[in-house]
Amino acid sequence: MNVLRWWWGLVLAFALVALVRVFLPLPFANEIIIFSIYTMGCNYLLGRVGYISFGQPAYLAIGGYATSFYLFYFGTNPYVGILIGIAGGFVAALAIGALFVRLRGDYFALVNLALAVIIFYVMQKMLAGITHGDNGLWFLTNMASTPVLDLSRPDQFFIFAFLVAFALWAFYKYLDDSIFGALCLATKLNDDKVKFLGYSSFNIRLSAFVIANTTTALAGAMYAVYLGFVSPEITSPARAADPVVVTILGGVGTLYGPLVGAIVYTGMKDVLSKVFGNWELVIGFVLVFIMLAGERGIWGSLEPLFQKLILRVTGKAADQSGGGR
Amino acid sequence: MTPSDDILTVAGLNVAYGESKVLFDVSMTVRRNQVVACVGRNGAGKSTLLKTISGFLEPTSGTIDSDGESLVGRPAFAVAGMGIKYIPQDKKVFSDLTVQENLELGSYASQDYDWVPIFDYFPKLKVLLDRKAGYLSGGERQMLMVGRAILGRPKLLLVDEPTEGLAPSIVMHLRDVFKELAKKTALVIVEQNLPLVCAIADKIYALKEGRIMAELTEREQIKPEACEQYL
Repeated sequence: MNVLRWWWGLVLAFALVALVRVFLPLPFANEIIIFSIYTMGCNYLLGRVGYISFGQPAYLAIGGYATSFYLFYFGTNPYVGILIGIAGGFVAALAIGALFVRLRGDYFALVNLALAVIIFYVMQKMLAGITHGDNGLWFLTNMASTPVLDLSRPDQFFIFAFLVAFALWAFYKYLDDSIFGALCLATKLNDDKVKFLGYSSFNIRLSAFVIANTTTALAGAMYAVYLGFVSPEITSPARAADPVVVTILGGVGTLYGPLVGAIVYTGMKDVLSKVFGNWELVIGFVLVFIMLAGERGIWGSLEPLFQKLILRVTGKAADQSGGGR
Repeated sequence: MTPSDDILTVAGLNVAYGESKVLFDVSMTVRRNQVVACVGRNGAGKSTLLKTISGFLEPTSGTIDSDGESLVGRPAFAVAGMGIKYIPQDKKVFSDLTVQENLELGSYASQDYDWVPIFDYFPKLKVLLDRKAGYLSGGERQMLMVGRAILGRPKLLLVDEPTEGLAPSIVMHLRDVFKELAKKTALVIVEQNLPLVCAIADKIYALKEGRIMAELTEREQIKPEACEQYL
């Protein structure tokens, strides 16, 4: 495999993300990176395995609260907190996924939404003694300064988040190009045929579920450290559609769709909220227009054009079969 | 023939879809490197028989054994892992994956990366490696499905109506390929093309309304006219 060819897309994409930081405020840049990580899990589930989930806030909360409990009650190192958030997400996804991936379609979507509601209630009411309910957990001042990159400082947090996102996108690109990526897609296309080849489609779906929702928990852990705070609002059912909307907006199943979707969605919210009082209504109309104009999402529509341009520039003949991803 | 020559033994098989019984006390045997054909009209239960053997359906009663191991209750992927590969009737491949990726999935499952036999049988597939499988013709898809199934050198191939809807030239090609494959693996072929099965089969089971009406083993019996009287 040509290493440069493998990496150039990632380098170019993240160079553009770095440009966002140069031209736009730091909070905006941090928000985009974490939100795109949040969306990546949903994108993988929907685009690669064919599962639509309205329960992503649940895994965001699991990661966020696992990190927060550590930083509020036990320790001060935000790196350790994030690792605990990831571990919490992994364990939860493994346990929950063993049940949920037996479902398909509408049932899968709704059972995950139910999970988000349950987690919201648990964090807001049942465990209010330790979560402090709607008041949330505040631990910004608890967090120790860490060597190399001090995560308690937003500018250095951005560098950390940028590096994590780059590593994560490289991991997902590796997955896409691997047999596992092909198996996930094959399971989405025809579950029975995968079994006839000798694969357990259940194991494939469960593995994808765990990977996707551990990614979501990572986003939750990063949100918690960035804000120094977590509350049940993070798993509000009212926000259940956000990652799905951004996934579709960016381009379902595309590698860079979550990044593009996060930039556009966050940008729209930021700009429109300064102009319109009912900015959410305006965003709704804008999203409808964008979906109708290009049902493959923004990056999903732009990617083929971009690939053709690259092929023309590099002088290679067009791939008539359209093979590969 | 000694019992160990039997690669598949089905005895007293009964299968139902809910309350609707489809197979009634079906029994059959397949020897190593033998080509066995199942013929019958639409709705006779031929595809149901193959789906049950491959683990996709569970029988209500009866036994299915291969090399001393029972297949009943095993999931489809486990049956495939035992070297019994099923090629379904629909010609659906993983359409968004290329031909190469489709073959790689077969290779990874069986840990067999030797594609030379596949290209010997189907030279056209070598040219089509980069094409998305969704763009293949019906005949090309069938070649891909057979090629993918023979990876891992299965001991038994269950092939469901491989020539349905295909051009005569492709049908002839597949007939020759099955003849060659039979030297290395046993085949159970469900077909409505009586001339084709009579040209390659060592034994024919005629099914009608879920029951075995006849087992034709003698060369003189394996003729289209002989089969037709039982359908």
